[in-house]
Amino acid sequence: MPERVLLTIGTKKGLFVAEGAKNRRSFSLRGPFGSGVAVYSTLVDTRARPTIYASSCNAFFGMKVLRSTDLGKTFKETKSAPTFPKDDGRALINIWSLEPGAGKKDLWCGVEPASLFRSEDGGDSWQMIEGISNHEHARKWQPGNGGLCLHTIVRHGNRVHLGISTGGHYLSEDGGATYTASNSGVGAGFVPDPYPEFGQCVHKIAQHNAAPGRLYMQNHGGWAERPGIGVLRSDDYGHTWRSIANGLPSDFGFPIVVHPEDPDTVYVMPLEPMTRTCPDGAPAVWRSENGGDSWKRLAHGLPKKETYFTVQRDALDIDEVKSPALYFGTTTGQLWMGRDGGEDWECLFDALPPIHNVKATVV
Amino acid sequence: MPVTADIIIEIGSVLRDYCGGAPELTLLAATVREALAQIEQQQPALYRSVCDETGAVRRHVGVFVNDTHIRDRDGLDTALVPGDAITILPAVSGG
Repeated sequence: MPERVLLTIGTKKGLFVAEGAKNRRSFSLRGPFGSGVAVYSTLVDTRARPTIYASSCNAFFGMKVLRSTDLGKTFKETKSAPTFPKDDGRALINIWSLEPGAGKKDLWCGVEPASLFRSEDGGDSWQMIEGISNHEHARKWQPGNGGLCLHTIVRHGNRVHLGISTGGHYLSEDGGATYTASNSGVGAGFVPDPYPEFGQCVHKIAQHNAAPGRLYMQNHGGWAERPGIGVLRSDDYGHTWRSIANGLPSDFGFPIVVHPEDPDTVYVMPLEPMTRTCPDGAPAVWRSENGGDSWKRLAHGLPKKETYFTVQRDALDIDEVKSPALYFGTTTGQLWMGRDGGEDWECLFDALPPIHNVKATVV
Repeated sequence: MPVTADIIIEIGSVLRDYCGGAPELTLLAATVREALAQIEQQQPALYRSVCDETGAVRRHVGVFVNDTHIRDRDGLDTALVPGDAITILPAVSGG
């Protein structure tokens, strides 16, 4: 079968899968999968036979992990979901992140309340990672509006970057066993100390595989008294961070994405900080091609007025086709595709349930 | 020595996938807590869908003894007598 672009779309009412040819002329949609409950995390694992994973946030019967080995035509629950030890006192509220590990069946999973789990058998059994889940800071972290979530896992070699809201950025340099708060330059507008050791409301972290020392962060910005702390860059593997928000209409936003072939090209979706919706009712993705030194507004084809959706932290992604397309899903249930790196936008689906998560994968 | 009783556990259809499709289970227990502990041993996937890691019944799950919700009796310590039926259902909620 020729290569296809697969979009996994996690929504408030279950998981959808859209599939199209590499020319992305059209996409067919299937779903909803799961039990009609929220899906905050999806993963298309292409390390071996392509396997789709999705979290299923069942308010009735607890968290489940869905798995598909037929490219999203059918899904089954794995044998178990992450579970805190009985004497821990915490109970799993949500699954925010699913990422591939080093081994072919290894999975990493970030959850709420902020903790990390790993599976070595494709999601059938899980072990809590003590180094972050019981970190000395863990009981001091506070939930943001989305809950106390470990939402970002970025791995490269022995380094692991974790994004926690509100915990900040934690870095492991021993393969993920132990972690250090690494927030030098990461600001917070909601505590007296503008640059605390930890406790920042990190929204998303992105890295390019070919340049692992360079990281980008969408932090919780939008603070009049502390401008520019919302969009950040690190050039030393996440040890220190500096603002790259100059030129953006707002430093508040949720997702941040790196171009698959160019570590200097990065995308954000600025939002008006009070309402967390599109500035002036006109949505736009902003692109920098020089690591955040300057930004260009990308809005051709997007509504020009009267549009007030939110794009959540995992609802912006980019595919790996030559001249890649960007995709974002909205809280109003629209899925948009921006061809040529976001130069030209079209709405693929305009009446899905509110979208939490979009992942684009070539299979 | 607590008195135990033959108890029927009636499983709502949406939960039967977690206990091999069985519409009901039978066990010996003196309280609802004991009944759930046995379910944890015998049907762990079903238990995880009814209770969280702390042992609390999930917020949107209703557990009834005969026709009465356990919150209107003694909660997990509600005593059971032979022939009682525990019914587990999703609560009315959503949006």
